[in-house]
Amino acid sequence: MTTATADMTNATKTTATTAPRAHGVSLDALPQGRETLSLEREHIALEVRDLNLHYGEKQALHGINMDIPKNRVTAFIGPSGCGKSTLLRCFNRMNDLVDGCRVDGQILLEGSNIYDRSVEVADLRRRVGMVFQKPNPFPKSIYENVAYGLRIQGVKKKRLIDETVEWALRSAALWDEVKDRLHESALGMSGGQQQRLVIARTIAVKPEVLLLDEPASALDPISTLKIEELIHELKQNFTIVIVTHNMQQAARVSDYTAFMYMGDLIEFGDTDSLFTTPGKKQTEDYITGRYG
Amino acid sequence: MEFQKDAHTDHISRQFNEELEGIKSHLMTMGGIVEKQLQDAVTALLDGDSELAERARQSDKLINAWEVEIEEQCTQIIARRQPAASDLRLIMAVSRAVNDLERVGDEAARIAQQAAKLAAEGESPRGYSETRHISGLIREMLNGSLTAFARYDTDLAYKVAKMDRDVDDEYKSAMRALATYMMEDPRSISRILNIIWVLRSLERIGDHARNICQHLIYLVKGINVSHASLKEIKATLRD
Repeated sequence: MTTATADMTNATKTTATTAPRAHGVSLDALPQGRETLSLEREHIALEVRDLNLHYGEKQALHGINMDIPKNRVTAFIGPSGCGKSTLLRCFNRMNDLVDGCRVDGQILLEGSNIYDRSVEVADLRRRVGMVFQKPNPFPKSIYENVAYGLRIQGVKKKRLIDETVEWALRSAALWDEVKDRLHESALGMSGGQQQRLVIARTIAVKPEVLLLDEPASALDPISTLKIEELIHELKQNFTIVIVTHNMQQAARVSDYTAFMYMGDLIEFGDTDSLFTTPGKKQTEDYITGRYG
Repeated sequence: MEFQKDAHTDHISRQFNEELEGIKSHLMTMGGIVEKQLQDAVTALLDGDSELAERARQSDKLINAWEVEIEEQCTQIIARRQPAASDLRLIMAVSRAVNDLERVGDEAARIAQQAAKLAAEGESPRGYSETRHISGLIREMLNGSLTAFARYDTDLAYKVAKMDRDVDDEYKSAMRALATYMMEDPRSISRILNIIWVLRSLERIGDHARNICQHLIYLVKGINVSHASLKEIKATLRD
């Protein structure tokens, strides 16, 4: 759906609230318009261009075009099998591991195509980190889980590793809970803590983009809210793309939302507009629980 | 469950706290603009200041812009957060209070319009003392309703609601006095009719201030007192 990019640009433009200027009244008191994100190159983290994906004979993504804004949270919603996880996995080439999977089109990270032959997949995955539905800490200590990525990169300085581990755990809102037991096994933590640990592990290598595939669907409501609050905090430093079955979660955490259906990108726009005045009937039907 | 005055600041999501604080503080900003507009409109009338009247009339646009903005924010919080309990009541109360404030703005603009007309026609001291008196009460009510909302103070809200009855009495007696003036001096009828419109607007503003207090009582107590008598409201607050 090639019009999606255009839709988005229009959608972001129209969110600006332009208050009429009243004569002789202090203009300081005018309501402040909401943020308008100009989608110029420097504000885009990922550009998807004419992306098609086939699993064998079956086409799973149809000509996707979209710009993922930098330092914002973008959510993919849609019914099961709509292609949202598939699209998310394209961003760090996780689909390379799937037999019979074929991708054409481009995904540009900072302007260069991640599907280019010259791209080292390991390097790409350092720049584009991923967190999955089920927390998957390594059977090591809390400290070693977070330090793992750095050690793989060959970082030897203990002080640097200590600092990064603390920074990552603080960023993941976990430090206060674990600082006294850093060298205990990560497997003794609660599910919500494990998921925050995995997020800490992912951000420890300072990726540019953080992909979250249903990061809270295995967690209880309070842990879910903690993860959501964490996502909100993390967007200051990272571009976040999240796939979620829970559209209320998308509404709560994201700045931009993409609605997908049967491998097509149906609508992509700022979350406020998409959840109050969607542009397409299919989107409205889905978010109001009429199908899907 | 007892309403906590800081209930809107302790969610796990800080963003949600900020959004709720945001609509409330915007309501207060809007209230401040409306209060100033009313004060200007009444002063313009009593002083025959047509320039001030025009300024008061124009602030209506600003007030409308705030109404649209706060309404929009409320809609978005509902769409994004699915608020419940006291959070939901806060949003509903703010949304309703915003509508009342906007109507107050309309009435104040009407007063300003009459002020401009009367200023153009020249001095008309007949009915001014009634206007001064009632407008004092009304401004006190409007200010009280906003203060009550800001502090979640239901006792103050009750006091303001009670004042509305006094205003209604004052309004009736002012009407009788103005009718007498018109009978005494038929040439003053058109000017006094203008004053009557002003008093009518002031009386309506009092009703809106009372409504705002009722929205606050709904927010704090969870009970809709829109059609309740003062006695019933008092009983609600005691429980």
